[in-house]
Amino acid sequence: MQNSFVELKGRERALALLDKGSFTELLGPFDGMESPHLAPQGIVPESDDGMIIAKGTIGGQSAVILSIEGAFQGGGIGEVCGTKISASLELALKDNKNGKKVIPVIIFDTGGVRLQEANYGLLIISEIQSAIVALREYVPVIGLIPGNVGSFGGMSITAALCSELIMTNVARFGLNGPEVIEQEAGVQEFNSRDRRLIWDTIGGNARFETGLVDQLVKDDIDEFKKAILKAVDKKKAVPRTQQIGRFLSLVNQLDPSKRNSKQDIIKLLETQIKETPAIADAKTPSRGRTWFKQFTQNADSVSDFPSVLVADISFFDQPTRFIAVVPNASNRFPRAAHGEVGLQEGWVLAKYIRQAIEEDAGKEIKRNIVAVIDVPSQAYGYNEELAGIHYACAASADAYASARLAGHSVTGIIVGNAISGAFLAHGLQSSRLIALNDKAINVQAMSKQSAARITKRSIAELEEATRKVPAMAYDIHNYYSLGALDLLIDGVNADDPTPENVKEVSLKLIEAVNAGDRTLSRRLQTEPAVSKGRVSSIKVREKLAKQWN
Amino acid sequence: MESFSFKYPATKNISQRAHIGVVGSGDLEILISPSEIDQTEFVIRTASDGFKQTWKAVFDRFTALNDFKAVITINDFGATPGVVSLRLAQVIEIANQN
Repeated sequence: MQNSFVELKGRERALALLDKGSFTELLGPFDGMESPHLAPQGIVPESDDGMIIAKGTIGGQSAVILSIEGAFQGGGIGEVCGTKISASLELALKDNKNGKKVIPVIIFDTGGVRLQEANYGLLIISEIQSAIVALREYVPVIGLIPGNVGSFGGMSITAALCSELIMTNVARFGLNGPEVIEQEAGVQEFNSRDRRLIWDTIGGNARFETGLVDQLVKDDIDEFKKAILKAVDKKKAVPRTQQIGRFLSLVNQLDPSKRNSKQDIIKLLETQIKETPAIADAKTPSRGRTWFKQFTQNADSVSDFPSVLVADISFFDQPTRFIAVVPNASNRFPRAAHGEVGLQEGWVLAKYIRQAIEEDAGKEIKRNIVAVIDVPSQAYGYNEELAGIHYACAASADAYASARLAGHSVTGIIVGNAISGAFLAHGLQSSRLIALNDKAINVQAMSKQSAARITKRSIAELEEATRKVPAMAYDIHNYYSLGALDLLIDGVNADDPTPENVKEVSLKLIEAVNAGDRTLSRRLQTEPAVSKGRVSSIKVREKLAKQWN
Repeated sequence: MESFSFKYPATKNISQRAHIGVVGSGDLEILISPSEIDQTEFVIRTASDGFKQTWKAVFDRFTALNDFKAVITINDFGATPGVVSLRLAQVIEIANQN
């Protein structure tokens, strides 16, 4: 096709968008910043780790293009390529704060987390999201989803945070890929071979018609340029991830017992309701529920939704809002009955975090926010994809990040599983993370079964790889070695804590809460991070800062 | 994944370093850098095991027609010999542009 944008490789796409002669690449192929985690698994690395950072001008306006190379490892986000994005966005934020306008353009061509560097992907995607939320206040953050891979997983949660999304009708945009939904929920839920179903659910046309992207463009370089300039000139609008009333209304009206169509979504978005549907509360036991009750001393949840517990208490004499996502066997959405973060949970988390931000606006003392983390995954389902579950997860991540920016202390305590999109929505925006040292806790990007299917390896091969690359492992010890945790708390009965256990954990928790910072930078400063876990991230950041100006 | 390297004697300089390609299915990336040493050195990492002799044949032919003091780094994801030769020709062309 003449003048096609989609058919170009990542570097060519950046070249095509920038004004002639203005292209300057940072951390390019000759800077020696490839992923150190692939060769040990027998995978050939790429010299730029599949991420092109290009500075230049678009229509005379300074811009930085972050172009993901979809042909390399499916555009998956690992430590190096992910940090190239987050560090660039942070440097762009600095420029914009200092009055130097730089428009960030992210080209999404990505399957999400690079499963071969799984936990790095999750961690760094949360860092990218944090940067976008901060940057969006100063300058539009523009996302392109041209197509080939499309956008999936944690990077779709990231895309959902952009000020403006530009897509073609040959691209797909969803949270869980069709194969993963089929693996996790069965072929009746989603048949990954049914192309018509896929395109009607997550294709560019469907996303544009239901209002989940801003511009649908033809596959043409000039159309993309025009769309970017149009986005730059647009008046600042309320981001979708902050239109909580509108989307909660949609979710509250959605009938989970039928297979809705995109026409249903369009219709439901037209009628706004304020009421909350009656939801039965099975009070299904879980670790999250146990620890929430302990920390809040059985305080009543103020949440209208039984699967999201919210309580304000005085914790060591400080106003503190505790939030937990818990299983509810009677959940209206069957795919979210086991404690998953589904459509409902994502938007409800956002609602109650934003409520705290709004109530405390202008106050000198902002209440602390503590996420009690025990989330088995995001919800895998057809209705979930159709109604934009990535936006629900993004709304929550946005709210937690906004709380930090507004001056709230945001802390996460991992008492159970912390998996994938659910962890991005509930936990990973915490400036401090602590965890119980417990064998049953899993921290990962995807279940072993799905990860094996997607990376075309056997479970045995997958487990072999986890021995070489700690970020591939599922246990909390390996996770600690990445530097993401402030603390592992030993000797606690995680399922049935004694009063002494609760007291000890509470003391550690308040220490983390009071640590004082409001950023995600701590993860790059812990001893395990500096000595081993985040060595490449730190190197990328240092090198990029030198090349930036 | 397999890694190996080959060296051939060389005499002429290239104008500049150059890069081409992507480590994507059936493709490869090549980085060429000028070298002070009188040789062409090929450093290969390939996803397809067991093709060392095929690589050697491609480089034998390439060096018979080209004389460049350079380090040529190749990250391969299953490119055929035809694609390899094409990419080598492309990267040399860029490296010798003024």
